[in-house]
Amino acid sequence: MPIKTWELDPNFKNEIMSEAGGERLASCFQCSTCTLGCPIAEIVPGYNPRKIIQMSLLGMRDEVLSNPDLWICLICQTCTARCPQDVRIADVMGALRRIAEREEEAGKLKIDSPRPLFDKAFQHQLKKFGRLYDMGLAMEYYPKKEGSFIKGMLAMMKDYKDFGMRMFLKGKMGPLGGGSPVKGMLASKIKQKDVMKKIFEELGEEGKEK
Amino acid sequence: MSVNKLAYYPGCPSEATAIEQHMSTEAVFEKLGVELVEVEDWNCCGAAEVEDPRVVYALNARNLAIAEKEDLDIVTPCSICYYNLERSNKALRADEALRTKLRGIDSSLDYNGTIKTKHVLDVFVNDIGLDEISSKLEKKVNVKVAPYYGCYIGRPPETAFDDPDNPVLMDKLIELIGGEIVPNFNYMKTVCCGGPLMMTRGDIAFDMARKILDVAKNAGADCISLACPLCGMMLDGKQADIEKALDVTIGMPVVYITQLLGLALGIEPKKLGLNKNAVDTKEILGMVV
Repeated sequence: MPIKTWELDPNFKNEIMSEAGGERLASCFQCSTCTLGCPIAEIVPGYNPRKIIQMSLLGMRDEVLSNPDLWICLICQTCTARCPQDVRIADVMGALRRIAEREEEAGKLKIDSPRPLFDKAFQHQLKKFGRLYDMGLAMEYYPKKEGSFIKGMLAMMKDYKDFGMRMFLKGKMGPLGGGSPVKGMLASKIKQKDVMKKIFEELGEEGKEK
Repeated sequence: MSVNKLAYYPGCPSEATAIEQHMSTEAVFEKLGVELVEVEDWNCCGAAEVEDPRVVYALNARNLAIAEKEDLDIVTPCSICYYNLERSNKALRADEALRTKLRGIDSSLDYNGTIKTKHVLDVFVNDIGLDEISSKLEKKVNVKVAPYYGCYIGRPPETAFDDPDNPVLMDKLIELIGGEIVPNFNYMKTVCCGGPLMMTRGDIAFDMARKILDVAKNAGADCISLACPLCGMMLDGKQADIEKALDVTIGMPVVYITQLLGLALGIEPKKLGLNKNAVDTKEILGMVV
């Protein structure tokens, strides 16, 4: 479909370049090295980081921010390592994801991926305990992803029943796992949890709203 | 040997899904005569899920500051923790204003930028050294290995400590302990395992992990060796799920490099957590002579 030049946002590239990680966007000269080495592009038809960069430079703000492909980047850094222009594509994608999340929070966009929910649940667990708590993360993420507690638990069981049992039998998670009677089953908490709270409140997305 | 004491950052999976990596790391360093002092009350590095770099820097400033108080460089067995520690260390060293800002948030984030951050592979090969390790070997680990490095050992350039396309540190250790590197696996060494998408796009993650497992199997490997707990969760922990979902049979043992090295150093398999890997490792144990 042709680009509607009158709908382009000439300021979009500046918006990205003022976001941490997005600074080097304008150095791209469209060589496609990022896409040729991308392991996702090998599996998902049409996935094209070069195109996302060019659309960003042109100012196709809505198309870029609502593109579900932003959320299947692995941050594996292959593109960043190979880019001859040091665009830091993996970091640019991160900057785009954060802008998209803010747009969604402002009610201007609907993100077509459960990944922001997962990242938020992870950060929430981290803020609460100071360490990753696998089971707590799954219990928080699945209900949000599925839209209800019951549906969430069913989906979690479908994905993780066998895995959980395997980890339990190997003594990694569950009542007898992890070198202590309840490791993995209960959260491992750090003493200075208050510092985690301060970090997220001062620097995280919550801090920005203040 | 230029190193005898290090601060140890185990990372969150060390308490659950990658406990065998934690056990084998501690056992190997003990045998090599390097004392590990666990970073007291360490917190999560932010993994791949905390995307805002400033939050990552703050989270890691706390861990770095704790090690700095002991005047010890930090070592971690996890590639993602290493990436976050190292990039935070670099950012904090270079940016006085950032350090001041973090100090203002909490005194525990007061880091002066005086220590180094290292991945275990880097410490084994470049600090302790192959000669020193060689002098302590007790057994030959006669296995054919597909050395899988994943993302953060050779990438991104500013934190990498090995080649981005053909890393060799793990290969060197495997050859040192009597193992053989399988041919035709090199091009998979650094292709992402799919781990970061496991919870949100499991279908893509399974396809990616399966490729690595298939290539290792076709190359005739007895096992895959790793240096990252997320790769471990994907290739070992989820292997049976991948087999079921994609209707394939793989049966490929996956071990941490610290487990293989531990076997060569004559450490008891149980102390290396070799009974905790999801895919059975008994066949590997039979190849240690």
